[in-house]
Amino acid sequence: MRIDILWVEKYRPKKIEDIVGNEEAKATFVEWLTGKRKTTKKAVLLYGPPGVGKTALVNATAKEFGFTIIEMNASDTRSEKAVNEIAKPATSYVALDAFSGGTKGKGNMLFLDEVDGIAGNEDRGGVSAIIEIVEKSLVPVIMAANDPDIDKLRPLKKVCLLIRFHQVRIPLIIALLQKICLLEHVKAEFEALEHIAQNSKGDVRSAINDLQSLSEENHVLTLQDTMGLSSRNKDISMDETLRGFFSAKSIDEVSGLLFRSSVDYDEFLMSVSDNLPKRYTNPEELAAAFDLVSQADIYRGRIGTENWHLLKYFYNALSEAAAVAPQSYKPFELITPPIRIITLFWTKGKRSMLDAICRKIGAQCHVSHSKAKKDFVPYVKEILQKKKSSALIDWFKFTPEEVDFLIKMSKY
Amino acid sequence: MAVNEEALMWVEKYRPKSLNEVVDLHDITESLKAFMKNPKTMPHLMFAGIPGTGKTTLALCIAHELFGPSWKSFTLELNASDERGIDTVRERIKDFSRYSRTGFGNAPFGLIILDECDQMTGPAQTALRRIMETSSRTSRFILICNQSSKIIEPIQSRCAIFRFSRLDRQAMIDHVQWIAQQENFKLEPAAAEKIVDFAEGDLRHAINALQTASAYKEGYVDEKTVLLVIGEASPMQVQKMIRKALYGEFMEARKTMYEIMGSFGFSGTEIIRQIQREIFKMSDLTPEQKAELSNIIGEYDYRLTQGANSDIQLSALLAQFAKFGNAIGETY
Repeated sequence: MRIDILWVEKYRPKKIEDIVGNEEAKATFVEWLTGKRKTTKKAVLLYGPPGVGKTALVNATAKEFGFTIIEMNASDTRSEKAVNEIAKPATSYVALDAFSGGTKGKGNMLFLDEVDGIAGNEDRGGVSAIIEIVEKSLVPVIMAANDPDIDKLRPLKKVCLLIRFHQVRIPLIIALLQKICLLEHVKAEFEALEHIAQNSKGDVRSAINDLQSLSEENHVLTLQDTMGLSSRNKDISMDETLRGFFSAKSIDEVSGLLFRSSVDYDEFLMSVSDNLPKRYTNPEELAAAFDLVSQADIYRGRIGTENWHLLKYFYNALSEAAAVAPQSYKPFELITPPIRIITLFWTKGKRSMLDAICRKIGAQCHVSHSKAKKDFVPYVKEILQKKKSSALIDWFKFTPEEVDFLIKMSKY
Repeated sequence: MAVNEEALMWVEKYRPKSLNEVVDLHDITESLKAFMKNPKTMPHLMFAGIPGTGKTTLALCIAHELFGPSWKSFTLELNASDERGIDTVRERIKDFSRYSRTGFGNAPFGLIILDECDQMTGPAQTALRRIMETSSRTSRFILICNQSSKIIEPIQSRCAIFRFSRLDRQAMIDHVQWIAQQENFKLEPAAAEKIVDFAEGDLRHAINALQTASAYKEGYVDEKTVLLVIGEASPMQVQKMIRKALYGEFMEARKTMYEIMGSFGFSGTEIIRQIQREIFKMSDLTPEQKAELSNIIGEYDYRLTQGANSDIQLSALLAQFAKFGNAIGETY
């Protein structure tokens, strides 16, 4: 990797036309800013996935039209007080040089980036303060967000012109990557760039970062080089992890997968155990795999809540279980949710109900609690199910709830 | 034989109250009767043996013979599996043995029956040892356990140990027939045999199964009814689970496992113990095969104590069974 300077900085768009894709959004924004769009809204909200050029557009536009950007982003506190202290002065006057004519100076523009990141508690009153500013502002107010659908932004959306950004189309990203390769003297296979672009899922910033991290001097970037790219910022779900786990060809492949995945390992272990018989239909293979899963569980037991250094052995055993017989893999439908849900039948209330029943049996029949459960409950429930003898119920001093519980105890 | 008319579970109703009424166990009852002639000579007793063979019954018989109908006032009956800590020993047992020092009128001593005392913790046993020593003039202990080896040596050496073995098959058959007579229903001979064979020398199981079968049908119990009871009411359908696993129907076996856990709230350890028991009941396995399966069970019993999740260890055990069943497929 060449790290003299980050390419995302070096090739940050300087003009509006440098920004790839989202032509409609760009045009709308410029129209609004230059007053050519018929709207009474004094603010805009640019929204869309990360890395598609929202911030870049604001910066490039400011440069082209000569605005000074007053910016507040998620790293700043945005409580009511903070917003009023910083944003209010910036929006309540129009720069003198705006009237000096001829020059490009147009004064301030307030840019609130990442408004979906306004936190509930720390930024108390932030949203209403912003709305107040928008209403009184003499200068353009621009906001950007990834997810405009969250509740707390609803009042903001009312006072804003909404401009939507889409994922940048793959061919445009490829073209941009080719341009950067040319300027950086990087030789790359077309397929490699294509894979980087596809992997980015329309996020230009991550595509450029990937390209920089993969390119080496005097080396042709091949498709093979790009295969190790993980899906950036995309959580690998439980299903995806399980599917990858069961279809893996080697222990290494599984280790890599488990390392990248962020699924809860207790839940994952259970799901592996649930699905193992569907993966291995041959009894020999199933026994071998289950033996390893059982060992993984033993490591889990030893880890407890503190010996986290043992986690690697847990993953090792699991990885081995996945690779017991790679050649026998056939796609199958995953069992979800976990089948042990049945054991949830034993809520605390039911347990204490059974405990009470066993105590009563123990008192009458001279047996311990556990013996009552094992040697009496199965018969007593059966007797009551067949013949609800009130004398027997009275003798045990069972409450109506306890009788009901025994009668409903599931039969095989 | 005196019948406890108030009791509605037959195991209680027909529990003998005097040593003369006890089925089988002649050697033991004869020795105990000798003690009864002069109760002061009775040492602390330990009854060891498999479940359902009359240990608790004999202890209660002794209480009856010593104290008559008011036996409960002179007897402390504790189940160590419910109250197994040192606190119980220190508080309840010590208090009782101290109280008995003040005298019970004509009673020679107070009686402390400690059932399932192989479940007692080590420290509790050590505490017990002291109390047995200091209170021997005022109290007698009857310690009941499945395995005497789980009781510390010093306690064993303070007791006269009686070992209970499996009850005689014919004596059990006669006994369930006698109960059927008392309850006024006809018990088919084949049905009686089925019940006794199923119970494997555990009279408690046999009587419970008999009472359950009688609830199925008025006045008559045949073999079919007994089979139904064994199927429906047997503690767990562990055999069904084992067989399915051995036939290679892993998914089905695991489903049964979850049913067993789900309906009774049994823990993994309890289920593994039952598996071990059931394996030895299965007549279609050779002794060598049983031994091999037992080895596998032992391994997973241990893993269960080490692991985090009993579902997984039990599933892994069933997978081993499926592999085993597959390997012996030809002969099984």
